[in-house]
Amino acid sequence: MEVSTIRDGFDRVVKKQKLSNSKSQEVIDHVGCEIRDALAKFHSVEDQAFNQKSILSDLKNKLNACGPHSMLEGVQKELNANIGKYMKLLEKYFNPDISKAYRNVDFDFHTVNKILVGHFYRQGLFEIGDCLVNEARNPEATELRSHFWEMHHIVEALRAKDIDPALKWVLAKREKLAVCGSNLELKLHRLQFMEILQRGTRVDALNYARTCLAPLASQKLDEFQKLMACLLWQDRLDSSPYAELTDPTHWAKFTKELTQQFCSLLGQPYESPLTVAVAAGSEGLPTLLKLANVMAAKKTEWQAMKHLPVPVELGKEFQFHSIFVCPVSRDQASEENPPMLLPCGHVLCKQSIMKLSKSSTRTFKCPYCPAEAAVTQCRQLYF
Amino acid sequence: MEIDPPASNGNPSAPAGSAAVAAVASAAAAAAPAASKMTQLTESLKLEHQFLRVPFEHYKKSIRANHRVVEKEVSSVISGVGEVADSADVSRDEAVDRLSSLVSRLQGLKRKLEEESRTEHLQAQRCRARLDHLESADSENLSDWNNTRLKRILVDYMLRMSYYDTAVKLAETSNIQDLVDLDVFQEAKRVIDALQNKEVGPALAWCAENKARLKKSKSVFEFQLRLQEFIELVRAENYTRAIAYARKYLAPWGATHMKEVQRVMATLAFKSSTECATYKVLFEPKQWELLVDLFKQEFCRLYGMTVEPLLNIYLQAGLSALKTPYCYEDDCSKEDPLSQESFRKLAMPLPYSKQHHSKLVCYITKELMDTENPPLVLPNGYVYSTKALEEMAKQNDGKITCPRSGLVCNYTDLVKAYIS
Ligand SMILES: [Zn+2]
Repeated sequence: MEVSTIRDGFDRVVKKQKLSNSKSQEVIDHVGCEIRDALAKFHSVEDQAFNQKSILSDLKNKLNACGPHSMLEGVQKELNANIGKYMKLLEKYFNPDISKAYRNVDFDFHTVNKILVGHFYRQGLFEIGDCLVNEARNPEATELRSHFWEMHHIVEALRAKDIDPALKWVLAKREKLAVCGSNLELKLHRLQFMEILQRGTRVDALNYARTCLAPLASQKLDEFQKLMACLLWQDRLDSSPYAELTDPTHWAKFTKELTQQFCSLLGQPYESPLTVAVAAGSEGLPTLLKLANVMAAKKTEWQAMKHLPVPVELGKEFQFHSIFVCPVSRDQASEENPPMLLPCGHVLCKQSIMKLSKSSTRTFKCPYCPAEAAVTQCRQLYF
Repeated sequence: MEIDPPASNGNPSAPAGSAAVAAVASAAAAAAPAASKMTQLTESLKLEHQFLRVPFEHYKKSIRANHRVVEKEVSSVISGVGEVADSADVSRDEAVDRLSSLVSRLQGLKRKLEEESRTEHLQAQRCRARLDHLESADSENLSDWNNTRLKRILVDYMLRMSYYDTAVKLAETSNIQDLVDLDVFQEAKRVIDALQNKEVGPALAWCAENKARLKKSKSVFEFQLRLQEFIELVRAENYTRAIAYARKYLAPWGATHMKEVQRVMATLAFKSSTECATYKVLFEPKQWELLVDLFKQEFCRLYGMTVEPLLNIYLQAGLSALKTPYCYEDDCSKEDPLSQESFRKLAMPLPYSKQHHSKLVCYITKELMDTENPPLVLPNGYVYSTKALEEMAKQNDGKITCPRSGLVCNYTDLVKAYIS
């Protein structure tokens, strides 16, 4: 992005604008001065015979002669030219109308508002979410709000190294967490134990281990033993084999894991779906705009497409599904035309295999290596 | 994705023509991911036309308005001098008075100009803040920058939807006031509020203010406002005034919009309670809502904004790019926005994305299966990533359990699949 070129263009506009302003001031001052000069003559000439008429017509002629309009005109012209150039610059370096990629379809704003309210709650912006509910007369999302409220309460507390709200939640969800094989409870106690070990006394740490860690020991015996061994190194954990356990990033990692579990038990994604969709939009829009231009030139109906005619490449963070495209036919695999593994390890779609084998009547050569294959040797794959 | 063929197979024969092209393309795409992230950033910055244009239009507007004021005031002072000079019987005191008042008028103009130049300065600074913000985007702060972009897009949406309080709150808590157009929309708010109260005054004033540009874009907004005012007079059964109004304000549009003029003139023969569909619709309160919509469109066009909210444009593009038939299946990953009912609803009328290359996501880890993490096939044809299966084998003495079919096998039973 040539921001510096654009900036130069803008600076030129500002320079001319300032010049034009001082020119205006100059003109005003000039006109003012002339009038004041004339007034001074009125005051200085006491003589009854002073010629009022000639002073006034002198003033009038002077003002008309200096032509304030022509004085302003030049500089304004220059300013306007620079404004025009800057607008052209913006048009050249940017896409002047991104709505070309927009399809004029029903895009229900109630649905959009609902998504926004959910997004604000998820981000912990409760006041803004409430404000939107109110202003957009959206139905309230009380349940979602209270869930995310609890989540943010837990996260805030963890930030202050207060494990109580997190512990309360973990205990309440103990069974569900066990089903997903999560050991958040143990991890939480481990964090607290290490904290006591570093800030408190050995006795406190030992007591904590007895009451909180021991009942969980069977979950991860080696982990438990390691923690107990830390008691030996209490004053010099940093130089112990367990120094890694004191790493302060463990809190942040734990917070992330808990948030993930929290969202997952809610049936919610970890990342805000709005954030994901808009980020995908900013990656996809440049391609879609190019496409819209081509389609407009070809007069193809952009609105009626069932499939985009070209792929829109998105980063791997946006890959949520396995898509197999047959390297021979370029068709996307489907239930009727599934991907098949050849004995050599290459994968083709079933229809391509049928073609190559002349409807399974003979063996065929793999298009990607010299190996021969028979249809009966090919296996369907499930991604 | 591109996975090398197995070495044991010797020299691979040349693949089919189209496959070769695709292979070149995919190899290019895979090369230097850091560089491609930067290209992507540059491409997405090009979408920010409105971000720079709107504050500049605002600045430009102030510049033009100031020019007009200076020109008007200075020439009226000069003609004031001319009047004094040209009148035959002005007393000395009166001449002094009149000249002095012209001097103070100039002083007033000077003060006003100084004030306005402060406004211009602030507007120029806002334009600069936006340039700075665009320039600040780099690979290090990309995720913060993208978060700010989302907030900008959301503020834009709320301003266009007239959710001003939410817009202001979000801008303030995120400290992005300079990066959004709250003040520009204040101007729109005045007009919209009035239209919602069935008052056309501010809207007409706005038309007068932007007369030249509206005319250039062949806008019919003012005409529609006039029609509505006429209809209101008919509704009030104030026929004499309605006719006078039509003569003055509708007749000038006759040349270009004769049909519409005739249609509303016909309402003089009916009452607002008419059941005739052609005329009934003209009396409906919905007409005022249409005026609000029309105003919003004109307003956005004048400031160089997209007519649709940015959010709708970005969301549509994102959902189109993400939409696959798999999104609508029950086992769609929760992390896919299209697993959510509301997003599915929005995506319903949009086209599916198209894929030229296989993209395989491991069912277990949700990671991409590529050269670094190749796909492995279980004896029953189920495929998972090497990373996932290695980890599983490590934890379970070399045994693999298929999470979908329950099949148990050895890690050694797995075979590699080559996807091109
Ligand atoms: Zn092969």
